[in-house]
Amino acid sequence: MIVITIDKNICTGCRECAEVCPAWAIEGEQGKPQTINTDRCIMCGQCVQKCKSYVSLITHGADAYEKIRKERGLPETVKEPLFAAHNVTHIQEVKAALADPNVITMVQSAPAVRVAIAEDFGAPLGTLAAGKLAAALRRIGFDYIYDTNFTADLTIMEEGTELITRVTKGGTLPMMTSCCPAWVSFLERNYPELQAHLSTCKSPQQMMGAVMKTYGAERNGIEPAKLFSVSVMPCTCKEFECSREEMKDSGYRDVDAVLTTRELAWLIKDMGIDWNALPEEDFDHPLGDYTGAGNIFGVTGGVMEAAIRTGYELITGQPIPSVDVTPVRGTEGVRTANMQVGDLTLKVGVVTGLKNVIPVLESIKAGKCDLHFIEVMTCPEGCVSGGGQPKLLMDTDRPEAYAARRENTFVHDENLPLRKSHENPSIKMIYEEFLGEPNSHKSHELLHTKYCTGKNKWK
Amino acid sequence: MNRYVKANPELCMGCRTCLAGCAVAHAGENFFYGDPDSFDFNPKLHMVKTLKLSTPIHCKHCESPACMAACINGCITIQNGVVLLDQEECIGCKACMTACPFGAIDMVTLTEVRLDSGEPKIVANKCDLCHGIEGGPVCVDVCLTGALTLVEEEDLNDMLERRRVEAARALDAAIFE
Amino acid sequence: MIPCTEVYIMKKSALFVTADSKKCTGCKACELACFAEHNHKSNGVGKTVGTVTVPVTPKLYLVRDEKFCLPIQCRHCEDAPCLAACVKHAITRVNGQVYINEEKCIGCKDCIMACPFGAIALFPVSRNGEAVYQQDTDQPQIVASKCDLCMDIEGGPACVRACPNNALRLVDPDEELLDKHLRAAESLMATL
Repeated sequence: MIVITIDKNICTGCRECAEVCPAWAIEGEQGKPQTINTDRCIMCGQCVQKCKSYVSLITHGADAYEKIRKERGLPETVKEPLFAAHNVTHIQEVKAALADPNVITMVQSAPAVRVAIAEDFGAPLGTLAAGKLAAALRRIGFDYIYDTNFTADLTIMEEGTELITRVTKGGTLPMMTSCCPAWVSFLERNYPELQAHLSTCKSPQQMMGAVMKTYGAERNGIEPAKLFSVSVMPCTCKEFECSREEMKDSGYRDVDAVLTTRELAWLIKDMGIDWNALPEEDFDHPLGDYTGAGNIFGVTGGVMEAAIRTGYELITGQPIPSVDVTPVRGTEGVRTANMQVGDLTLKVGVVTGLKNVIPVLESIKAGKCDLHFIEVMTCPEGCVSGGGQPKLLMDTDRPEAYAARRENTFVHDENLPLRKSHENPSIKMIYEEFLGEPNSHKSHELLHTKYCTGKNKWK
Repeated sequence: MNRYVKANPELCMGCRTCLAGCAVAHAGENFFYGDPDSFDFNPKLHMVKTLKLSTPIHCKHCESPACMAACINGCITIQNGVVLLDQEECIGCKACMTACPFGAIDMVTLTEVRLDSGEPKIVANKCDLCHGIEGGPVCVDVCLTGALTLVEEEDLNDMLERRRVEAARALDAAIFE
Repeated sequence: MIPCTEVYIMKKSALFVTADSKKCTGCKACELACFAEHNHKSNGVGKTVGTVTVPVTPKLYLVRDEKFCLPIQCRHCEDAPCLAACVKHAITRVNGQVYINEEKCIGCKDCIMACPFGAIALFPVSRNGEAVYQQDTDQPQIVASKCDLCMDIEGGPACVRACPNNALRLVDPDEELLDKHLRAAESLMATL
């Protein structure tokens, strides 16, 4: 399947995208249209964010815009500039599902979406709009408005338990996070021998897909075959992740379609919804209930911080001295910290920007890495800077945009009544009612996965 | 973009063949053999002669024409890249003539059309790029020195591209330090 | 006290932006930035692509030749042919710079014909995020458009700020001349 592509009639061959591509997937001569080597491309979408070569009245003629908009399957209401590098959209599938009276739709949206989507409606960079986001999804006509933050909390329970097991019982260390599908693809393609280091947890998106079509369907008395599950993601690679052949543990495809943050903004405009007039609403109970820990998955170091908040309390039985785990915060490409958790000194690392992971992987291969747990995110500052986020007209605004999105992710975390995943009552409930306990047999069936399988069996 | 006829004053010798060609083409008959008083000689372009230059002045077929904005009657429209004036609807208010910064519109007498009062009708008159006349614009065709050219969108874009490339090459050859 | 404008008037030469083909990759970030900065107020263009509802109308144009590329923009000529060609007086000198008043322009194309650089182009006009039509017609308002050196825009020329490779720079010819004179004079000292 093609996720990211470059329109060779529009590309000027500047190769600015090749500069930001972490996977050396963009090939072509300087000054000539570029192509994407799909064997290498990990679909992170950073080239989509970078490309400034737009469909121009002067260069391509007056009719080019409409023609290309149609070719790409974008709604008629889209008026924004179109660029050479772009991701293939599935917005028409989502619209069809919404319009089909026999289909019941469930939607989830990722943490980083709420601090960015308002930008596409003219709000200041990084504006927090969780309430408006929920309201917009409801106005669009989704039947159940759930939240990936819930399964981010669930990920912490599963991944935290997995880490504790690996550390105490002697599993493969360091364990590396698996929430970022572009990172997982990168490892599968370039370092398949290190796959045992990846946590077996599915990403929060895929956990939510699996939970929606089992627990969610059961709770709401819906036949899972009638369910269409949509996720709104800051990421272009999520579309690839949800189409992986092993991602159907619910008995159906766990996630049916992905919209990026930008595509959701198109959909909102296409439906004629006045964003500015939207009230603040809540996500639906229980799969839309979340804590601050789930929310900070959107920034680099967030998964680590959330894991430490819960891990500390589960291991020691004591409340963590400071909920703000500042040692793992920051935006540098590689950060490490030693966390004292009871008797154990947990050595953790945070990597953001995929190019920074290579030295870490090489040190693991050489047996020189003594870390226990490493968080890896592909995009420059985690999901807030993802390939599906609102695209900046001027790259000079990037530092401000990333800082504001990051800042407001933490503001949202601080203002939530609960800030630790294990305190989420709906998480407790899903374990009581459905999953049993973290890493139980059922959890393994639904929430964990295997790597280097099927089409993704690289090398 | 609208097409238009561009004149080159360096080639024009002021012979007025273009004016004659225009008037004949729009009258639909060769009136040189007829009675000089039996027709209106209403060319849609004007000859300007000074000590320094001679050139015909045509309508520029502006993209956002001042004449069109000035006409309260809706007689002036843009159709297929030509600014057209409908003389049948024109009431002779002269607003367009005043608005045009080139003097490309004048008022002419249509002797064969009479007002209710019996007076001949006087209307605005401007270049229509020989709309509806085969082989037009006639002025370009008949010019003896090749001083007139029809500029189309493609020509303009080619010219822009050529000039930009030339300018870019010059810049590339002498990078400012 | 001398008002600010007089400082400009006292200058002999107008400023302009020029590009370095050795650094330009042809990414069009300059074109997009130019459009974005000129349409914040008039067309509600925000910081992101999603806020754009009108066609991209830059005031400089990337040129690609066989071996190099660079954007071409108005040189703000001292004896500007476009200014001389404009019968509507829509092109004037403002603070020493050559400026098109798009409100006055009727799109007669004479300035485009006059400019030897190809720095002027016809573009549809948009306001408040929508295309502007000519009074009582379905004809879009089309006018000539060219670099205004971001005269009303904070931070100066957007293209210069946006270039990822520093291929563009704002030239103040008088100041540069002074610098060059001083350097040349100093280098003469070395030849003694």
